[in-house]
Amino acid sequence: MEYIIKIKKEKRNLLKDKWVWKMAYRDARKNFARLFLFISSVIIGIAAVVSINSFNANLQRSIDEQAKDLLGADLIVNANNPFEEELLAAFDSIQSQEQAEEANLASMAMFMTSTPGTRLIRIVALRGGFPFYGGIETSPGDAYNIMKSAPFVMVDENLASQYDVSSEDSVQLGGMVFQIAGEVSKIPGGGGIQSTFTPSVYISLDYLDSTNLVQYGSRVNYKRYFKFETEEQTEAAIEILKPIIRKYGHSYETVDGRKENLGEGFRNLYRFFNLLAFIALILGCIGVASSVHIYVREKRETVAVLRCIGASGWQSFNIFFIQTAFLGLLGSALGVSLGLAIQYLLPQLLSEFIPLNLNLQISWSAVIEGLILGVVISLLFSVLPLVSVRFVPPLTVLRTNFEPLKTVSKVRITVIILILLFPFLFAAYQSDSLIIGASFFAALLIAFTALATVAMLLMKTVRRFFPSGWSFVWRQSLANLFRPNNQTVVLVVVIGLGAFLMATLNIVQNSLLNQVEFIGEENQSNTILFDIQPGQKEGVVELTKENELPVQQLVPIITCRISSINGKSVSEIQNDTTDAIPNWAITREYRVTYRDSLHSAETLERGTLQHISNDSVYVTISAGMHENLQVDIGDTVVFDIQGVPVRTYISGVRDVEWPKDPPNFIFVFPQGVLEQAPQIFVLTTRIEGQSQANNYQRELVTLFPNVSLIDLRLVLSTIDEFFDKVSFVIQFMALFSIVTGLVVLAGAVMNSKYLRLKENVLLRTIGAMKKQIWGMTILEYGYLGFFAGLTGIGLSVLSGWALAVFFFEIIFLPDFVSLILIWLGIILLTIFVGWLNTRDVINRSPLEVLRKEG
Amino acid sequence: MSDILVVQNLSKSFSSGNKTLTVLDDISFSVEEGASVSIVGPSGSGKTTLLGLCAGLDVATSGTVSLVGMKLNALDEDDRAYVRNQHVGFIFQNFQLLPTLTALENVTVPLELRGEKGFKPKGEELLDRVGLGDRMQHYPSQLSGGEQQRVALARAFISSPKILFADEPTGNLDEDTAHHVTDILFNINKEEGTTLVLVTHNMELAENTERILQIRGGKLVADRKSLTAS
Repeated sequence: MEYIIKIKKEKRNLLKDKWVWKMAYRDARKNFARLFLFISSVIIGIAAVVSINSFNANLQRSIDEQAKDLLGADLIVNANNPFEEELLAAFDSIQSQEQAEEANLASMAMFMTSTPGTRLIRIVALRGGFPFYGGIETSPGDAYNIMKSAPFVMVDENLASQYDVSSEDSVQLGGMVFQIAGEVSKIPGGGGIQSTFTPSVYISLDYLDSTNLVQYGSRVNYKRYFKFETEEQTEAAIEILKPIIRKYGHSYETVDGRKENLGEGFRNLYRFFNLLAFIALILGCIGVASSVHIYVREKRETVAVLRCIGASGWQSFNIFFIQTAFLGLLGSALGVSLGLAIQYLLPQLLSEFIPLNLNLQISWSAVIEGLILGVVISLLFSVLPLVSVRFVPPLTVLRTNFEPLKTVSKVRITVIILILLFPFLFAAYQSDSLIIGASFFAALLIAFTALATVAMLLMKTVRRFFPSGWSFVWRQSLANLFRPNNQTVVLVVVIGLGAFLMATLNIVQNSLLNQVEFIGEENQSNTILFDIQPGQKEGVVELTKENELPVQQLVPIITCRISSINGKSVSEIQNDTTDAIPNWAITREYRVTYRDSLHSAETLERGTLQHISNDSVYVTISAGMHENLQVDIGDTVVFDIQGVPVRTYISGVRDVEWPKDPPNFIFVFPQGVLEQAPQIFVLTTRIEGQSQANNYQRELVTLFPNVSLIDLRLVLSTIDEFFDKVSFVIQFMALFSIVTGLVVLAGAVMNSKYLRLKENVLLRTIGAMKKQIWGMTILEYGYLGFFAGLTGIGLSVLSGWALAVFFFEIIFLPDFVSLILIWLGIILLTIFVGWLNTRDVINRSPLEVLRKEG
Repeated sequence: MSDILVVQNLSKSFSSGNKTLTVLDDISFSVEEGASVSIVGPSGSGKTTLLGLCAGLDVATSGTVSLVGMKLNALDEDDRAYVRNQHVGFIFQNFQLLPTLTALENVTVPLELRGEKGFKPKGEELLDRVGLGDRMQHYPSQLSGGEQQRVALARAFISSPKILFADEPTGNLDEDTAHHVTDILFNINKEEGTTLVLVTHNMELAENTERILQIRGGKLVADRKSLTAS
């Protein structure tokens, strides 16, 4: 006992035990390359988190700094009809420093430039000193002043480059020709993705009427900009204006509101990036655990020798603990640096979608978070395999295959609990929400469980229905899936997760694109002419026929508003706090049509078609909108049609495929009611060739300048381009997860490499040819890639369906050809990584290995 | 002289499924300080298991082992490691050098582990004695089998152990090299006055020790003086 007491006194702790530090260095100096997988996992995981956190911090700061500049004013009031007398009087009564006006509408523009052409643009007509904040950048610099005082226009810079605009050129808008004053590169409220779809042409509001574009049915948006001296004045003005704005169904925006909207807009993007960072980090954690596991396996003999010559279990553990802690810190520092470098790339990738000038700075909080996180994951996820070092029996030096009984230690249990808690805590911290943390954790658990279950079922199935008639190479490689020390579960989970991510992205992208690709179908209209006045109807039809184009639809449109629902007036509904009908739904302007049949994009979900019965007017409503307005079959809706009240009853609910063959309508009236009401017409046609389209557009703008044309093919290609850009950003970010996945995959393959080493060598010793060994290796990883890819893609079809139906609310349309291509890619990649890692095993001389094994 | 190793009624069994396999069955013997003893027997007779138990590398199913006055059964693994560090030296058939340490570092590791200082000259001297004075900075992978085993010999003696356990020290060497290593082993052992317990199935090697214990089927079947001793 005397000795034992003395022995206990001799124990040294990690910091004071110089020997373990020295051994940690000595052991690592020739071994750092072996921990490449470990450090790569940390670097990529941390780079993902840091780049995203730092980018988000910069984005948030830029929003806070630039919200006022983006708005260009302290307050904006928006309306889609001219401001009412009551509102104008209120504008005059409030104490503002300055006010400015804007009216904007979509219209055709004919560019008389060296590259002439016509296209749909947005006319922005301005009057006053807008913008009050943020400034406007034009080329030449005085273009805005010239535009304000004479019939000049400024055009968005992308339009300018599309039509090779110069100061000598002119543009026809409606019935008026304007000379070009210059191009606009930056203006509050401009730029961003909207200008990709409908680029703007700026004129002075004084000339808008002269264009004759504002006629009955024109959709003009009106804005009033305000500048105030103090925030109190802004708030006081809002107090006065708010009830009137609400009464007429208009809206307003403040600087704070813009900040919130921008923040909200980016929240989904940020959540998505967060999800990718989370996956990259979790895969990184798996990479850490798996690489340390491999490392410890290799170090078993070393540890046994150290135990023989007297090192304690904790001393042995500490040697490798110090190494992983140091490498974790190094990996974190490198990951943080890479993350910061990547955050400088992100704004360039996202410049199309961000209306901000991102002023990038190093976010020190993200740096510190990254460093701490890196060390935490390095230690937490390496401790579990490292703990086994403590229990390496010294007897291993005498018997290599000696396996001790599994030891349950407190450290091991604590670490397992912490590892399970980590994904939840990290996700909750990142998203600042326990619910999101829990949902991320749940999603991860479901994906992992599903993949692991499939892997286990696969092993059982292969074992049960083993094809004993196959040739040796095919049988041997297939048997590797379920034999002892197989890596099937780990590899299926890792590869499957990567496949799942890529395929889900692909399905969502395809489903979204398919919504607009209806237009490409045979006989579908691809060109829409709108704002046709009744007097122009015959002429436009004639022009269309002269150009040998079919008139697919000629639809009358009447604008109206709702006066009451089931006897309750709009103001009563607004004042009734128990009523859940949204204000926008009862105050908006409705564009309705009349016909007695269903359109190709419509099906009658319930009730009967619109009709007249006993002098009562029965209308149908689109599915979804009836829920917003809380009306059903038999309910009464009174419309105000240009001052005339029209009482109607809901006769049925239509299901409308909105993107298919536009225009489509919320309310459809029966024939015989609205024929005498002021109306405009929409004509749809199908144009096949570009030259035919150019001629038609040119003649249309010349003869009917107020009629606008939407070329859906152009819209389709713009949307396609947009999705290409979005998917590039998504794929770039997904790269983090994919690269980490590859590192983990390489780790898992390396893990199995050591297990296969002796076996392959023995096979070669007894006469297997290299070709056969290669065949077995390729087939084994081929099987793994095949099943893992299939599982991942199978799961992605489920998640893609859920995302399409419940999140995006679109039709689920996966592209099976691309999915098969992804699957094949995964199989090839798995085989390649497998080959890369096992080629030295195959090339090594059998004797060398046998000698080593003793 | 007092006994440095006392083995009493030692048994070791392994469970395999429902069956129990007894590898060592009720073995008792003792070794005097400074003596040299061989444990011989055919493959699978349990001699390596016996060596592992005597050196505290494993724990017996029943019976006791007293090493340098301490009952190993009463110690936990870390305490046994401490005993090994203070009193025991090892030589293995597969040399078991640490691949990431140089020859000199491999030799001095036990002293470093004790926290001693100024061990380098002692390590260099030992490497000189085994004829590797010019290979001190080489890594194990740069040494031949015989050279690696000589480094292992130097490591075994550097801490001046009271007892040295050797498991088939020449098992992986050719005949000439084996003779050379054997000479070095017995010479240094004699000079240092270390107790030697040697496991081998090579009777010629065993005859170099003073006493031979013969194991068969897990039982001690003979305990005799070697021809050299007699």
